[in-house]
Amino acid sequence: MESLTSPVKAAHPEGAAYGTVLDAEVALRFSTLDAEYEAIRERAALLDLSGERIIELSGRDAVEFAQKVLARDVEYLTAERCMTSLVLAEDGTVVDQVVVWGREDSLLLESSTGAGTRLLEHLRAHAEPGVEITDRTAEYALFGLEGPYAWGVVGRLIDGELASLPFESIVDTQWDGVDVLFGRTGVTGEYGYKVLVPRESAERLWTKALEHAVPAGQEAVELAMLEVRQPVVRHEAGEGVDVLEMGAGWLVDITKDEFVGRDAVVAAFEGTAERRTVGFSGGTEVPAPGTPVTVGGEKIGEVVHAVHSVGLKSSLGLLRLPPDLAAAGLTLTVGDTEVVTLTSPYVTPKSWSTPII
Amino acid sequence: MTLDELRATAAARHDTCAQIKKMIVSRLDLPIEPAWITDDQPLFGRGLELDSLDVLELYVAIEAEFGVALYDSDMSVFGSVSRLADHVNPALAERAPTGSA
Repeated sequence: MESLTSPVKAAHPEGAAYGTVLDAEVALRFSTLDAEYEAIRERAALLDLSGERIIELSGRDAVEFAQKVLARDVEYLTAERCMTSLVLAEDGTVVDQVVVWGREDSLLLESSTGAGTRLLEHLRAHAEPGVEITDRTAEYALFGLEGPYAWGVVGRLIDGELASLPFESIVDTQWDGVDVLFGRTGVTGEYGYKVLVPRESAERLWTKALEHAVPAGQEAVELAMLEVRQPVVRHEAGEGVDVLEMGAGWLVDITKDEFVGRDAVVAAFEGTAERRTVGFSGGTEVPAPGTPVTVGGEKIGEVVHAVHSVGLKSSLGLLRLPPDLAAAGLTLTVGDTEVVTLTSPYVTPKSWSTPII
Repeated sequence: MTLDELRATAAARHDTCAQIKKMIVSRLDLPIEPAWITDDQPLFGRGLELDSLDVLELYVAIEAEFGVALYDSDMSVFGSVSRLADHVNPALAERAPTGSA
C-alpha cells in the first residue's frame, strides 16, 4: 500500500519539515516546536491529519463486525456521535487507537497517524461476509483544530454554534457550500475539533483556516498528547506490551462480552502484572527508549518514550516499572539523571479553565 | 531513598488511589471492578466519561469519605485518580510535583 502524503502539502507554509511516521509522510514542524506548542496550549492550532487513514465499515453486519474488532462498545453509536477505542490483537497488544465516527449506514474508523495500513490489514484479516471494508482516505482530507481558543476559529470558519457541541458529537454541515463532517473531538486536552472535507475542497479549507490558526506539526501534537497522558500508540505499544502495561485500559470496555483481544486482557487483569507505566520529568537531556531506571545502582525498569516538554521546560516521558513502584512522587535515576514520577495530566490544559463564549 | 522506602511511598499512593476508585465505582454504580480504573485515567470527557452531575455526587462522596471539601476547586483536581489522591491526601502531594502551565 502506498505511503500517505498530505493532499494539501502544496499549501503548507514554506520551510515545513517532513518525516515518515509508519506509513505516512507528515509535517513534523511547520515553523518551530515552541511556536506550535504555544498555539496548542495558549491559542488555536490547525492540524493536518492526512497521515490518518479513513476506513469505512459498511454492509449488513458492519456494526456486528465493529463490535468484534473494537475494544469499546459501539452498538448504539449514532450518526451524531463519535468515540475513541483501541483495536487489539488476540494477545491483548494494541494494533491501533481509532476514532469511530457513527454514520447512518456505516462506521468510519480514523486510524492514528501512520498506522492505517496496519489497521486495514488487521481488519481484513478478521473480515467476514456481510461487511465491506473500504479505504476512503483518498476521498477526503482531515483537519483538526486544538487549543483553548479553537472554538473561536470554529465560529469564524464555519458556525459558532458548532463550537459548543457536546464532547464527541458530530454534525453533517456545510462549509462554503461544501458538505463536511464536523466533530468535537481532540487529543491534547484542549478544546478539539475535526473536519472531514472532500479532497477536492481540502486545499481551499486549509488555506482559509490558516488565516485564523497556527499550523502545528506532529511533534507538537504528540508532545501535547503525552502531557495529558493521551496514548501515542507508536511510542508506547512495544512488542509484547499489553494494554494494561500501557496504562490504556480506559480505552477498553471490559463489560463488553466479546471482542478480539478480550480474553488476553481479562487474563492479564486477573494475573500478576509485571510492569506498569508512569510519567516522569527531570533533566534537560532527553533519554532514549530503553534507558535504564535505577535506584541505588539497581535496575528497576526502563524508559518507554521521552521528549523535551516545552510546558515543563524539562524532559518528560514514560517509565515502565514493577507495579509496586509505578506511582507518582518517587525520585528515581534515569541514566545519570535524577527524575521524579508524576501524576497526570503533567500539564493542565488551559481549556479546562477557559469558557466558550 | 532506598528501594524499600520507595515501595512504601508508592504503596501509600496506591492505597489512596484504591480507596478513590472504590468510592467512584460504588457511588456512581459503575459496572466495573475498581482496579480496572488506572491511576492516570482521566475522569471526565475521554476517560471515565463522568459528567457534571457525577462531579456533584463525587464532591459529596469525597467529603464523606475523606473529610475534604473540594467544592471550590478547579477541574484539574479531577484530571486523574492520582491527581485527586493528591487533594484528598495532601501528604502525597508534598512528594509529587504535578507539572505546571
